[in-house]
Amino acid sequence: MTRQLRVDWPACQARGLCHELLPEIVDLDEWGYPIVTGPVTDDLRGDAATAVRACPRLALRVVG
Amino acid sequence: MRPPVPFPDQIRVHPGPALLSGIERGPSLAAHRSQHGAVPRLDSAALTDVVSSVGLRGRGGAAFPFGIKLGAVLDRAGRTRRPVVVVNASEGEPASSKDSALALTRPHLVIDGAVASAVALRAQEVHIVLPGDRPPAAAALRRAIAERDDPVELIEHTAARRFVAGQSKAVSELISGRPNLPVTSWQPEATSGVGGRPTLLSNAETWAHVGLLVHHGTAAYRRFGTSAEPGTALLSVTTPGAVPSVHEVEYATRMRDVLPTTLAGAPVLIGGFHGSWATWDTVASLRVSVPGMRSLGVALGAGVVHAPGHGTCPLALTVRITDYLASQSAGRCGPCLNGLPALALALHLVLDGSGGRDRVEELATLVVRRGACAHPDGTVRLVRSLFTALPGEVSAHATGGCVATGPMERLAS
Repeated sequence: MTRQLRVDWPACQARGLCHELLPEIVDLDEWGYPIVTGPVTDDLRGDAATAVRACPRLALRVVG
Repeated sequence: MRPPVPFPDQIRVHPGPALLSGIERGPSLAAHRSQHGAVPRLDSAALTDVVSSVGLRGRGGAAFPFGIKLGAVLDRAGRTRRPVVVVNASEGEPASSKDSALALTRPHLVIDGAVASAVALRAQEVHIVLPGDRPPAAAALRRAIAERDDPVELIEHTAARRFVAGQSKAVSELISGRPNLPVTSWQPEATSGVGGRPTLLSNAETWAHVGLLVHHGTAAYRRFGTSAEPGTALLSVTTPGAVPSVHEVEYATRMRDVLPTTLAGAPVLIGGFHGSWATWDTVASLRVSVPGMRSLGVALGAGVVHAPGHGTCPLALTVRITDYLASQSAGRCGPCLNGLPALALALHLVLDGSGGRDRVEELATLVVRRGACAHPDGTVRLVRSLFTALPGEVSAHATGGCVATGPMERLAS
């Protein structure tokens, strides 16, 4: 199964670090909340893990 | 904010062939036992067998196969992880009255289904979530619970007065002693629900069907409906000037048979505030069926049939419903908190002819599947269905007209 980045929406407060760290698959909407645009491919696994650890709200997980 | 279709003060419950048979004898435990007998004891294999062989689906809206949910609970359950059974009677959808109808007329059938399942699963607790917005139904369930003497504990909870309070994760939160609001679901309730335990959570009507099945078996159940979809379903019908009514219909019943002929030609909202608009031509072709209706893009959902009639503009009503749904967001998920009011505003602009569909669709895309619960998704379903099913009603407003009311209908504030 492909790995996906999932957002814990009630936890997310639109700090935007995920977009800074993982712009390949995270855009921001007009309110600053992440839009996940694709799966976590093998070459992005390291950056995705960094984004998960860096989120100040602990609102990201890689699942699958 | 008051819902644009109010919670009913009273409802009319029509006698039906199965769930609603014998309602004239009243809701007492004595009347129930004389009609249906004592709660039969089944093991988990026998329970799985009866619910799966008739293809019982959840009646809370998603139509998920009950047997699959039960199987997931059984897979996870063990001596150290006793499962929990939950009856969700919160019914936060104002246009729905079916769970109230069961609470008022057939509470013991609902509870029997849950208790028989709890015994089969070796669960020790049945949690019953009462509606916060419907005091008579809540009181009727409390009276029924007080009459009973079961081998499992029945524990009452009262849902918050909020549209999203009945979402399954929100219900698990309530039972776990936290605010009655949705949270992110990393695992289904069946695997990890109340207190992390495997949780068999279903809507009150689903439990009433389980009650019928454990009391009378599959042959009796198959006397109604079709071979592919045996049994019956409850419909909540709201029409202009009439007390909201609840009808028990067999699967494959013509949808138009529950509506007065005077409404012919007017669009109908099927599935409630999270449902879909349908033209009268579509309604006239519908038969009550989960896959049959799904194929026409009009989900049966929890069986809400709201027919506002010829004099109501479906766009204006959709605007009022979207305003209400935006006000009912739990306010925890950014896309829903920000997106639903923006979506409602964009719809207001379509209504007064100053805005277009592009902004509505842009916002719909931004909120859908971006929340802990299905509230944004359901709101988007409603909004998109208006544009898909009733494009003429929408485009009339771009030139200051209205198909339903002729001159511009003004919004009641």
